[in-house]
Amino acid sequence: MAVDPTAPSPGVPAALEPETPLGSSERQGEGGVGPYKLAVRRLRRNKTALAFGGIFLVIVAMCLCAPLYAKHVAHTTPSANHITDEITVRGKTKDVVSPAGIPTGPTWTGKFLLGADSNGRDVAVRLLYGGRNSLEVGFIATFITCLFATIIALLAGYFRGLTDGILSRSMDLIWAFPVVILGIALGTSLALGGLDLGLFSVSGNSLWIPALIIGFVYVPYMAKPLRGQVLGLREKEFVEAARAQGAGNLRIMSHEILPNIASSVIVFIPLMMANAILLEAALSYLGAGIQPQNPSWGNLIGDGLSLIPSAMHLTLIPGGMLVLAVLGINIFGDGVRDALDPRAEIRIEH
Amino acid sequence: MRKLGRLLLLGGITALAGLILAACGSSSSGGGTNGGTATVLQGTAPDYLDPQEEYTTQGAEPTWISYIPLVTYKAENAPAGNQVIPGLATALPQISQDQKTYDLTLRKGLVFSDGTPVKASDFKCTVERMIKVNWGGKSFVTDNVTGATDYDEGKANDISGITTDDASGKITIHLDKPYGAFTNVLAFPEMGLVPCGSPMTGQTTNLPPGVGPYMITDIVPNKSYSVVKNPKFAGLNIPDIPTGHLDRINVKIESNTQTEAQQVLNNQADNFDAGDTVPPSLVPQVQSQASDRFEPVTIPSTFYFFMNVQIPPFNNEIARQAVNVAIDRPALQRLASGFLKPECFFLPEGIVGHPDSACPYGAADGHGDIAKAKQMVQQSGTAGQSVTVWGEQRAPRTQYVEYYADLLNKIGYKATPKLISDTTYFPTIGNAKTAPQTGFADWIQDFPNPADFYLLLDAKSIQPVNNENFGNVNDPFIQQQLAKLENVPSTQLDSVASQWQALDEYVAKKAYVTVYGSEQVPKFMSDRIDFDSAQVHPTYLNIWSTWQLK
Repeated sequence: MAVDPTAPSPGVPAALEPETPLGSSERQGEGGVGPYKLAVRRLRRNKTALAFGGIFLVIVAMCLCAPLYAKHVAHTTPSANHITDEITVRGKTKDVVSPAGIPTGPTWTGKFLLGADSNGRDVAVRLLYGGRNSLEVGFIATFITCLFATIIALLAGYFRGLTDGILSRSMDLIWAFPVVILGIALGTSLALGGLDLGLFSVSGNSLWIPALIIGFVYVPYMAKPLRGQVLGLREKEFVEAARAQGAGNLRIMSHEILPNIASSVIVFIPLMMANAILLEAALSYLGAGIQPQNPSWGNLIGDGLSLIPSAMHLTLIPGGMLVLAVLGINIFGDGVRDALDPRAEIRIEH
Repeated sequence: MRKLGRLLLLGGITALAGLILAACGSSSSGGGTNGGTATVLQGTAPDYLDPQEEYTTQGAEPTWISYIPLVTYKAENAPAGNQVIPGLATALPQISQDQKTYDLTLRKGLVFSDGTPVKASDFKCTVERMIKVNWGGKSFVTDNVTGATDYDEGKANDISGITTDDASGKITIHLDKPYGAFTNVLAFPEMGLVPCGSPMTGQTTNLPPGVGPYMITDIVPNKSYSVVKNPKFAGLNIPDIPTGHLDRINVKIESNTQTEAQQVLNNQADNFDAGDTVPPSLVPQVQSQASDRFEPVTIPSTFYFFMNVQIPPFNNEIARQAVNVAIDRPALQRLASGFLKPECFFLPEGIVGHPDSACPYGAADGHGDIAKAKQMVQQSGTAGQSVTVWGEQRAPRTQYVEYYADLLNKIGYKATPKLISDTTYFPTIGNAKTAPQTGFADWIQDFPNPADFYLLLDAKSIQPVNNENFGNVNDPFIQQQLAKLENVPSTQLDSVASQWQALDEYVAKKAYVTVYGSEQVPKFMSDRIDFDSAQVHPTYLNIWSTWQLK
């Protein structure tokens, strides 16, 4: 069966092919308002999205303040053990960790505000540092995904033929593995020996390992729909015009096609971010993500699991924080998508 | 008058019936009753139930009481349980002057559970079967018994170093070289006799008959099995081996320890697997609601952090001493939910040679001296060095390593934990290419002999792969002492106890390892079982043949 190379890939939203191409010479929408300004206007009207975006920003701000909180309020560090220490709460002295190994619950005071874990570490401090790590991995992974997915989509969609064949089949190969299984396999092996690519080496304990893995496994999820868009865009008149004017391949890709897929990339960013944070949590929970003693929301949940009946706070607090952060960025991401892609045809396949 | 006579007759018959019933199965000397059924939960299914194949405590519990070897251990708690006693042999082995020949004689009149008479040649068949089914510990035999390696490699049809005489019951075993712990090898449950002609492949459900108070039956692999009383055993009159009280023990595999503990707490099952850990969240409830049927039992084991003495920073003795000064063993005890007895010596309590002297770098139950340790690290010139701390992804071992890494940071190092899957942990740190600086290690005895522990500090154990001397300790004094002490027969260990003790004190002083305790296992039973009479063996844990209903 013959396949039309210009046809978008299955699942690629046809609506993403802009009716008004944003070529270098043509960037204004109707009535003198650019599409991005229009999108911002739409987003401003979506109060729910803005509220959840605000929640996400508050979480980010809190996590960024982790060192200040640890130093000036909790007077500890995220990895400092206080197993045999005692604390005084409202005049009563008690063990941070009981002789039977049960950690104290929330004290609602500066020290051990949200309780301790089994190693006597301050849960509030670890929660904030864990958030920093989870968000850092999420940001880096999203950047990696966006960067490589965009490059691959541009190359595959623009050049087609052998280049497209190689790149698309490579994406299919990665896509064929369930994300979590692939993440665990890579995480476990790289955590042991680290990553050494000659000029570029990363130790097994580095946050870069889960960030690289997550960024890598999500590339096809973004690259395939974008490739479909590029396949359509390369046949448009403004591309033909640029080519007729003598523009080279690189210039056409960077100045004509890239601006036209930028809105899709922007729509993808919050959605990929939410997925990256969730995958990081899953991998860390399973011991293949952020390595102890670097906290992350995922490994904090895992650490608390065996103590659920007696110290439920160890699981509930990081779990709640994870839900809130992902919900915040997801709903905000939906708002961004609604603003940039009102027909809402971008969907991430899981 | 006639009426009175009938009443007296009726009373007499009732009394007689009562006496007969009592004799048939009521009170016993332990205060409990004979007969009845108990339900045991095991968190992990036995690796095998075939007596020559199993190699886990879950496998040893049923096989140890169903297949008795020529020599065995007293069916008692530690320390008595560490004593080797004659099993199917009339006496402990007679060892030749050169310690290379072991002579034993089989008891007369022994029969297997199916009624087949036991012959001396069955011992040789059993050892050959153990090699053929590829028991995980077969090297204890192939490394020592003459001709066993040839038999294993298919170069010989039998083990030339074992000779038997069915008429006299005499069994002679020849060793290639003296091996002091060989009597302990003879006491392995895997040496429990089975008849010649038993299949030379591991059996899953159709097990060969054995000699023991119980028989394993009704096996549903990985789900359940039962042990029932062997009616022929009591008549064999083997001294010091309990004949058993319960008629039947039904064993169910329950992998969820939370459910397992709840069922025993609620008396829905009779025993919690001693090889499992009571979930920390349930420990306070168990301690308060079942205080008369719950007890942590210390087993001879050593939990320690190894330190690689060949590479920085722990090739520096002061640096190693600093770690021993800083360690807070009660903290590690809390991480183990209380199931750890703080210790500082490599040989645990209950093993010959365990020192009774004070710990060289602060009391075992002390909280450590961080300030002093920090000074020592400075003095050693190793402060600020990076240290990778290896550990297993398995609670509470992960928590031990996180504590240890934090401790090293507090005393002046830049320590980072490296946690890997527990299935690959020991092969990884035992690979010379890994060259681990320090990390978690433990040892639970194969048999009660100090030589079994010192395998871990013996320079001969250093290998490129599967190294068990993780710290690469190679000390001439240790080697000199081991050469002398390793060959002392198990039955004569007491004569060299002071020398083992001196060696262990030397190791502690040189700080080759940082020992922090011995593991404790839960003895946790239902209200139905007589808790006091139930014994926990230091190696094979629950001794079901000592259990009786209240």
